[in-house]
Amino acid sequence: MASLARRRTTDLVVKAVSTGFAALSIVLLAWILWTLLSRGLPALGPHVFTRITAPPGAGGGLLNAIVGSLIQIVVALVIGTPIGLMCGTFLAENGRGTQIANVVRFVNDVLLSAPSILIGLFVYQLLVVPFGGFSGWAGSIALAILVIPVVVRTTEDMLNLVPIGLREAAFALGAPQWKVVTFVTWRAARAGLVTGILLALARAAGETAPLLFTSLGNNGWSINLGAPMASLPIAIYQYAASPFEDWVALAWAGALIITVGVLTLNVLSRLILAKMK
Amino acid sequence: MNFAPDTSIDIASAVNRATAPSSAPKLKVEKLNFYYGDNHALKNINFEIPEKRVTAMIGPSGCGKSTLLRIFNRMYQLYPGQRAEGKILFDGGDLLSKDLDSTVVRSRIGMVFQKPTPFPMSIYDNIAFGVKLHESLSKSQMDERVEWCLRKAAIWEETKDRLHTSALGMSGGQQQRLCIARTIAVRPEVILLDEPTSALDPISTSKIEDLIDELKQEFTIVIVTHNMQQAARCADITSFFYLGELIEVGASNEIFTNPREARTRDYITGRFG
Amino acid sequence: MAASISGTEANTALIAAHKPTGRISDPIFVGLLWASGIFVLVLLGFIIAMLFEGGLPALREFGISFVWSTMWNPVTERFGAGVMVYGTVLSAVIAVIVALPLSFGIAFFLTEIAPGRLRRPIGVAIQLLAAIPSIIYGMWGFFVVVPLIAAYVQPPLIEWLGPIPLIGALFQGPPLGAGMLTAGLILALMILPFITAMFVEVLESVPPMLKESAYGVGATTYEVYRNVSVPYGRTAMVGAVMLGLGRALGETMAVTFVIGNATRMSASLFAPGATIASTIANEFPEASIGSLKLQALLQLGFILFVISFIVLALSRLLVRSKLKS
Repeated sequence: MASLARRRTTDLVVKAVSTGFAALSIVLLAWILWTLLSRGLPALGPHVFTRITAPPGAGGGLLNAIVGSLIQIVVALVIGTPIGLMCGTFLAENGRGTQIANVVRFVNDVLLSAPSILIGLFVYQLLVVPFGGFSGWAGSIALAILVIPVVVRTTEDMLNLVPIGLREAAFALGAPQWKVVTFVTWRAARAGLVTGILLALARAAGETAPLLFTSLGNNGWSINLGAPMASLPIAIYQYAASPFEDWVALAWAGALIITVGVLTLNVLSRLILAKMK
Repeated sequence: MNFAPDTSIDIASAVNRATAPSSAPKLKVEKLNFYYGDNHALKNINFEIPEKRVTAMIGPSGCGKSTLLRIFNRMYQLYPGQRAEGKILFDGGDLLSKDLDSTVVRSRIGMVFQKPTPFPMSIYDNIAFGVKLHESLSKSQMDERVEWCLRKAAIWEETKDRLHTSALGMSGGQQQRLCIARTIAVRPEVILLDEPTSALDPISTSKIEDLIDELKQEFTIVIVTHNMQQAARCADITSFFYLGELIEVGASNEIFTNPREARTRDYITGRFG
Repeated sequence: MAASISGTEANTALIAAHKPTGRISDPIFVGLLWASGIFVLVLLGFIIAMLFEGGLPALREFGISFVWSTMWNPVTERFGAGVMVYGTVLSAVIAVIVALPLSFGIAFFLTEIAPGRLRRPIGVAIQLLAAIPSIIYGMWGFFVVVPLIAAYVQPPLIEWLGPIPLIGALFQGPPLGAGMLTAGLILALMILPFITAMFVEVLESVPPMLKESAYGVGATTYEVYRNVSVPYGRTAMVGAVMLGLGRALGETMAVTFVIGNATRMSASLFAPGATIASTIANEFPEASIGSLKLQALLQLGFILFVISFIVLALSRLLVRSKLKS
C-alpha cells in the first residue's frame, strides 16, 4: 500500500497531466484555426466569389467551385434526407425491438464510419463507368450516400426522445400512423431532426475523397449535373498541391470558407440541441 | 385461483344500486383474456360498464386495470406480442373483431392519459387535429367545435385569448383539461381516463374531478385510479382488480363501506397495495 | 337492445358510423418506412458486391498473394497490396497509440476535473476537431506540421535513437517530415474527439453510487477513475478505441498530404509510405477504365472495406453490448 502522501501526489500529477492534455487539444484546434485565418484571410477577396478558376497568374477565383459544391450538396440532401428520415423513423417506430431493425441499425453504423473514399469508388463503379463519364449527378449521389447514415442516426435518436405517451395520445384520437408520425412525432422532434440535416450538410460540404472519382472537378463554368462539376474541396486539393503561389493562396481561402461554414453548422446544431434539452 | 368469485352475476344488482334509474351496459366484457407475450395479464374477465355513469377500476400496480382500459380502445394493438382473446361488446358489436378498424374504435372511445400529452402545436390545432381526422368542417364550424369542447372541459375562459399560442406553454392542470377537451372534440361515446390526475396538484385534481362529474351527463366514463378517495368521490361503480382478475364490482359506496371480498377490504384499508 | 343484432351486422354498423382514417395511406406510408430500412441494408450489400466485382480481375491475375505481395509497379503492371496494407495498419495503430492516453486524460478532465461551467465549452471545442474536414487537416499537416517535424523532431530522434539496435531501425533515413509517423500523428488528432466523446459517454453512465462508495473508503479522484469508472466501462471503451481505429484506417485526404506516397516497404517510421486510401486517391487519376491498375485499385478498396468492416463491426458490438446493459 502506497503512502498517503504518494497517493496524493499521483492524484495531483494525473490531474495536472489530464488538464494539460485537454489544454493541448484546445491549443491544437486554435492552431489549425489560426493557420487558416492567417493564410486564408489575406487571400480572401471579392475575386474569390466572383471569378471562376483560372490558370496560375491569371487572377482566377473559386466561383465555379463554390457553386458546384452548393449544387451537389443540395442535390445530395434532396436525395439523402428523405431516405434517411424514413429509415430513422422505421428504426424508431415500426422496427423498434425487432431483429431486422437491429440489423439495419448495425449496417447504418458501419456506413456512418465507413471510409468515404470507398463510397466514391462504389459510385464510380455504379454510375461513372456504365454511363461513360464523370458527372455532377455521380458526385451528388456519392454525397447522398454519406448524408443518409448521419440523418438515420440523428432521426432515430431524436424520435426516441419523444415520449411514447404523445404517440399514444394521437393514436387514441383515431389517427392513422402516417398522421401520428408526420403531425405529432416528427413535429415534436422537429428541432432535433433539423440538427441531423445540418450535421449531414456539414459532412457533405467537407468531403473530398468521394468526389475525386465521381464529379471529378471542372476548371470551367458548368452547372450541368450531367457533366463533370467543380467543387470546393476538389479545387482546394488540386491547388494546395500545386507549385504556384497564387493557387496555394486560393486553396487557403477555400479552406477557410469551408471550415467556417462547417464549424458554423456544427455550432448551430449544438445550440439547437442544447436548447431542446 | 380459489378466491376468484364469479362476478358476472352481481353486476345487474350493483348497477341498480348505483343510481336509479338503471342504465344499460355500454361496454360488455365477455371472457376476456389478455397476454403480454407469455405473460397472462388478464384472466377471464366478465364485466359490464353502464352507459353515462362513471366506472372506476382500482387495484394495486400490475393488477391489470390499465391493461383493460387500453384494450377498450385497442391501444394494445400498437405493440406486437400483445394479444386479447374473448369479446368486448360495444353497442352489440365486438370491439376486438379483426374487421373493425382501430381508428374507428378510437374515434368512438377516446382516452386521456396519466401525463398530459399536449401535441407540439397551438391549443386550437391540438383540438382540430382529432376532429379533422373524422369530419370535414368549415372554418366556422371548427371554431364552434373548439369553443364547445373547451367550454365542456371548463378551460375556455383561460384559453380563449390564446388559442393560437403553443399548448406547451400551459400549466400541467390546464394541459390535462386541454387533453380532455381534445378527446371530447371528436365526440366519442366513451371516455377512458388512465390515472388522469396522478401528475397534477390538488387544485387541478379537484377541477378535473368536478369535470368528470359534469361529463357523465353525456359520456360513459371509465377511470383507472390509484387514489381511492378519488374513486369514492367520482365513481358510481367501482371495480377491484388483483393479479389480473376482477375480484369485485359494485356501487362505489358499497365497495368502500362494505366490501364483500376480504382482498378488497385489505386493499382499501391499506393492508397491501 | 343490441344483443339481438348479430355480431357482423353490428360491426358493419359500427364501421358505417365513422369512416376509418388511413385505410389506404397507412399501408403506403408503412411500406415506405420499411423500404427505406431495407434500402440501407441493400446499399451496404451493393457497395461490397461492386467493389469486389470491380477488383476481381486483379485478384484473378495475381491470385490471393495480391493481398500481401509488396510489389507495386505500374510500369510492369505487377501489383500487390502488401505495402499499402502495412501502411494502413501501421499509421492507424500509431494514431491509436498516440490518441489513447490523450483521450483517457481528456475524458478524466471532462468528467472529474473540469468545473461545471467550463465542461461544456471545452467538450464542444474538442468535438469541433471532429468536424474539421479531412482536407483541412491535410493542408495544415502539409504546410505547418511537416516542416516542423523535419526541422525539430526528426533530427534529434535520428541522432539519439537511430544508433540503438533494433529500435533504431524505426528511426532511420533523411528527415523529410512527411512519412508514416507524421501521418499517424495527424490521424491521432483526427480520431481523438471520437474516442474522447465515447469515453465521456461511457464514464457518465457509471452509477454514481459505485463511485461514491469508492470515495467513501478514501480513494482519490484518480483512484476512483482508474479502479472503478474505467473498469466499469471497459468493454465499451475498447469499442470506442476500435471505432477510432476504424476511422483512422479509411482516412484519405489528410493522409495523402502528409504520408509522402511511396509505394515501397520501409521499416523506418520516418520514411514515406502509403495507405490503401492514399494510394487510391493518388493513383486513380492515372488509371484508365478497364486497365489492370484500376482493377488493382478497386481490389485495394475491397480489402480496405473488409478491414474497416471487421473493425467497425467489432467496435459496435462492444459499445452497444455495454451501453445496453
